[in-house]
Amino acid sequence: MKLPRIALSIRAQLLLVLTVFLALPWLGVEYVRELERVLRDAQERTLAGTAQAVATALHDRARLFATPPDPIASFARERADDRAPNGASLPPSASPEIAQIIAGLSRTTARIWVIDREGTVLARAGSLRPPSTPPPAESAWARIGRATMGRLYKAFLDQPSDDFSDDAATLGAPRGRDVEGALAGILTTDRRPTSDGRAVIVSAAHPVWVGDQVRGVVVAEETGNAVLAERNRAFERLFNIVLAVLLIGSLALTAYATWLSGRIRRLRDDAERAIDEQGRMRAPLASSGAGDEIGDLSRSFSSVLARLAEYASYQEKMASRLSHELRTPIAVVRSSLDNLKASSLPAESRVYMARAQEGLTRLTQILTRMTEAARLEQSLCDVEPVRFDLVPVVTGCVEGFRLVAPGAHIAYAAPAESVFVQGAPDLVAQMLDKLMANAVEFAAGAAIVVRLELDGPAVRIVVDNDGPLLPTGMEGRLFESMVSVRPSGDAKEPHLGLGLYIVRVIAQFHGGEASAANKPDGTGVVVTVTLPRATE
Amino acid sequence: MRRIAIVEDEPAIRANYSDALRRHGYEVVTYSNRPEALAAFRTRLPDLALVDIGLGDEVDGGFTLTRELRALSATVPIIFLSARDSDFDIVAGLRLGADDYLTKDASLPHLAARIAALFRRSELLNAPPATEDIVERGPLTLDVKRLTADWQGKRVDLTLTEFWMVHALARHPGHVKDRDALMRDASIVVDDSTITSHIKRIRRKFLALDPGFDRIATVYGMGYRWGE
Repeated sequence: MKLPRIALSIRAQLLLVLTVFLALPWLGVEYVRELERVLRDAQERTLAGTAQAVATALHDRARLFATPPDPIASFARERADDRAPNGASLPPSASPEIAQIIAGLSRTTARIWVIDREGTVLARAGSLRPPSTPPPAESAWARIGRATMGRLYKAFLDQPSDDFSDDAATLGAPRGRDVEGALAGILTTDRRPTSDGRAVIVSAAHPVWVGDQVRGVVVAEETGNAVLAERNRAFERLFNIVLAVLLIGSLALTAYATWLSGRIRRLRDDAERAIDEQGRMRAPLASSGAGDEIGDLSRSFSSVLARLAEYASYQEKMASRLSHELRTPIAVVRSSLDNLKASSLPAESRVYMARAQEGLTRLTQILTRMTEAARLEQSLCDVEPVRFDLVPVVTGCVEGFRLVAPGAHIAYAAPAESVFVQGAPDLVAQMLDKLMANAVEFAAGAAIVVRLELDGPAVRIVVDNDGPLLPTGMEGRLFESMVSVRPSGDAKEPHLGLGLYIVRVIAQFHGGEASAANKPDGTGVVVTVTLPRATE
Repeated sequence: MRRIAIVEDEPAIRANYSDALRRHGYEVVTYSNRPEALAAFRTRLPDLALVDIGLGDEVDGGFTLTRELRALSATVPIIFLSARDSDFDIVAGLRLGADDYLTKDASLPHLAARIAALFRRSELLNAPPATEDIVERGPLTLDVKRLTADWQGKRVDLTLTEFWMVHALARHPGHVKDRDALMRDASIVVDDSTITSHIKRIRRKFLALDPGFDRIATVYGMGYRWGE
């Protein structure tokens, strides 16, 4: 099964790789959770320690628990609590002695209760709410941070709030699981949410022993706010760092990827520019001096293209070199045949003589054709371009061909005005000669249309003939040296695939280009030469 | 008996050419390299020299030899014979003082005809012109026997090939001569671009004498025409 290919740029790929770093926040969350657990344990232990310390001070002092509770005082106190605003000062203690003992132990954020077996509050010290302090002065950065990131964190982190309803303060002594445990003689800790759910209260209850009897319970309470605040701070710092790292990391990686893909893209563009549509070397690729793999790639590209160029020029020069080398042996054969002809030959030998000379003529023709392209290229060096009217040249060539090939049906259309082109009329005539010869041969009696069309700053010479189509994929290669699409049959004339090559060379000399395509309706082939018009 | 020197490094061609020329009644001496030929020329000048450009290891040995031979004699007809047929070689050869240039594609009868024509030209150069051999087209005078061309009374220094081309064009003024006809008349086998450069050279020679010369008109796609 073939998977669909997803095209991803290097930049996108690197950013995808970067998602691995998204594990960092998760690790951070796990770490902070662990931290919170440790902090909670520590808080519970501290509270237990506090409760134990208070209880130790009260152990075996039966006198302190002897006083029966005063329901009226207790009621009055509770009424007073009701009236008092939240966080009011301590109510009068039922047992001033105990209150005295625990007063020294009260902490700013903890509340300590001492209650007897019946649940009567004997004493209470401290408050769950911290004293309100003015917020510390913030730097501008911190303010911006709080305005942006702080808001974000608030959205998904529990915020500690001092604005919670303290049930115990209004409803009297705590009656939680911890108290029951302590009454059973065991140090017990408990955490419970406040009734409005805005805070969690952590409490520890320690039994007070008189002899082997539990006579009271010390309860130490604290909100979870401190832990929560600490956790949030850890969270925020961690997230700030992770976000900064991610941001800087992705920026750096994006920049790196941009630079990298820029180099690769430049290399690709250079490589594409180096060869034109017809596979001809345009300019050698400048090899990069960079020491990395892309530099290597650029250098190997450059050397591959250089070798390709060498091969192409070898291929283009081969024809002329070959013809040069063949001329001498042909001269030997020709002069031998000429000498033989001069001597008296028997009649039956004359036939072979004629055949040999016919073959030789053909061979010479091939050689002449082979050198034509090379000679043309050589002669281009000393052609002095002139400004000339293209119309009479094309008209002359078409009329010339009508004379030479009376069997061909050549239709011709040209603009009435003069069309000036900068170049060599002789060369243009040579080019047209090749174009027409091709068309006449392929049309084999079918219609040929030659058109001269103006196209803005350019002029198009279109030779359009009915006949066999070009094989697909050959449209671009047709104009290369020694490429022919003719069926290799018993052609009277040798075909070396140099005709259209000459067309291209001449078109390029005039700053134009040549192209070939099948007609859209599939009846034949159109060869178009586009030349730039001369400026006035 | 006229004496022809053949300087050619390929033994088979040397032998074939000398056989053919001997059959035409010439005395032939052959040399395979430049020093050998030069030494022989110093002792005795040939009546005509047939020189190959590439001589053994000397790629341009023929050019050097021509220069040396011209220094020995200003009048000995020299024909270049080469496998090369680039414009550059033709121009260089003719500039060095060769009278004609043939590629080795030329057949032996063609070669013999040229040699005969060159001999006739050098022989008749000083004889009085016979009117029946003169073609006159306005300012152009062609002496078909002596193979000379004059424009407005001044001698145009044409090679044999060029003379025959001008002759072919001027014989029927106004008629278009295509490239094949020109090749036939000049008895050369070359491709189209060589004809073009021949015509270009002819024009340049006439233009050197007369900057207003415009008699040879190009008929694109067909050939050339001598204008009246």
